[in-house]
Amino acid sequence: MTGSWHWLALVEEAPADATACAIATELDGAPAGHLAIWDRRGRPTREARRVDARLLDRDGAEAHVSLVRLPSGVRLPFDDVAVQQARRAVLATPPFDAVTTLLSDASHFEGSLTVARGADVARLRGDPFARIFPARILRVASGALGRIPAPAGPVIERYGSARPWPWDRFDDAPRSGVGSRRA
Amino acid sequence: MVSTSLQAGGRFPDLVLDDHSGNRRALSELVGGDPTILQTYRGWWCPKEQAFFRQRLLPLQDELEVAYARIVSLSVDPSAVTAAFRAGLGARWTFLCDPDRTALQRLGLRETTDTVNDPYVPAVFVLAPDLRIHASYDGYWYLRRPTAAELCHDLRAVAAEIREDWSAPTS
Repeated sequence: MTGSWHWLALVEEAPADATACAIATELDGAPAGHLAIWDRRGRPTREARRVDARLLDRDGAEAHVSLVRLPSGVRLPFDDVAVQQARRAVLATPPFDAVTTLLSDASHFEGSLTVARGADVARLRGDPFARIFPARILRVASGALGRIPAPAGPVIERYGSARPWPWDRFDDAPRSGVGSRRA
Repeated sequence: MVSTSLQAGGRFPDLVLDDHSGNRRALSELVGGDPTILQTYRGWWCPKEQAFFRQRLLPLQDELEVAYARIVSLSVDPSAVTAAFRAGLGARWTFLCDPDRTALQRLGLRETTDTVNDPYVPAVFVLAPDLRIHASYDGYWYLRRPTAAELCHDLRAVAAEIREDWSAPTS
């Protein structure tokens, strides 16, 4: 792992340069593309967003995900009270295998990805971030998504504005060219 | 009396226990890089603990969520009981569970006057990220427990030591 965040995108074709990539399908089995993760500095595709680096696991088992993306043309501050409340709700409820917010800059919330396996899949319908914008529930094949330990709580802030929540410490120096606002 | 090894200047053992969701957690992982309040409590049933949670820790939670400081609570209650208690409180931090009392024995924090529940003695520790104990409070008597102001004072002292940019960067 080279830093606190990686890039993630749901793309039609499997990218040759992705660090990990897994086939995504709708719940009815229809193809949904490929969920790709890149461990690199530069943005690999226009659609890619930063995610908590701990999400990447090339040995990760098949999973279901709740993918929240903002409608085209919509921007929402990360500090918006709706986003704050969703983060509180994540801390208050039983943890999923992983959750990460999606970012592309230091100011805006651009969605979230919540990973569930086993009995927890049924709870994806209650994804707190899906109360802000609609979520797509997808099945993602093995080889991309790992587990992120549940956030210790109660911190809902990012540890530097470039780092997707719930990455939980400052000790990894921010990469050049990105913000690191704290308080 | 809380063991002398668990007083200010000592180092808290890096416990590994199940949390309220049944996931194995290391204390050092939960503390991460932040000042942390570690609280031991008797159990969900104790009115004094309920008061301490509701009057001191829960109001503080709403500030610590933006202050880069953490809370960890520890008792002998099993995970399922702890999860229900935590949810009822509205707490958004991690609770550790020691139903087998293995950590309790290691820490020497058994409350000897309660032979029915065999619980942790109530105590509060303010920890630095390396688990160094900055402050220790014996909570056997409720009035010995720290106020929110005292906890904030302790957390501030730890933060001042560990945050390289404690003085605001300005130009």
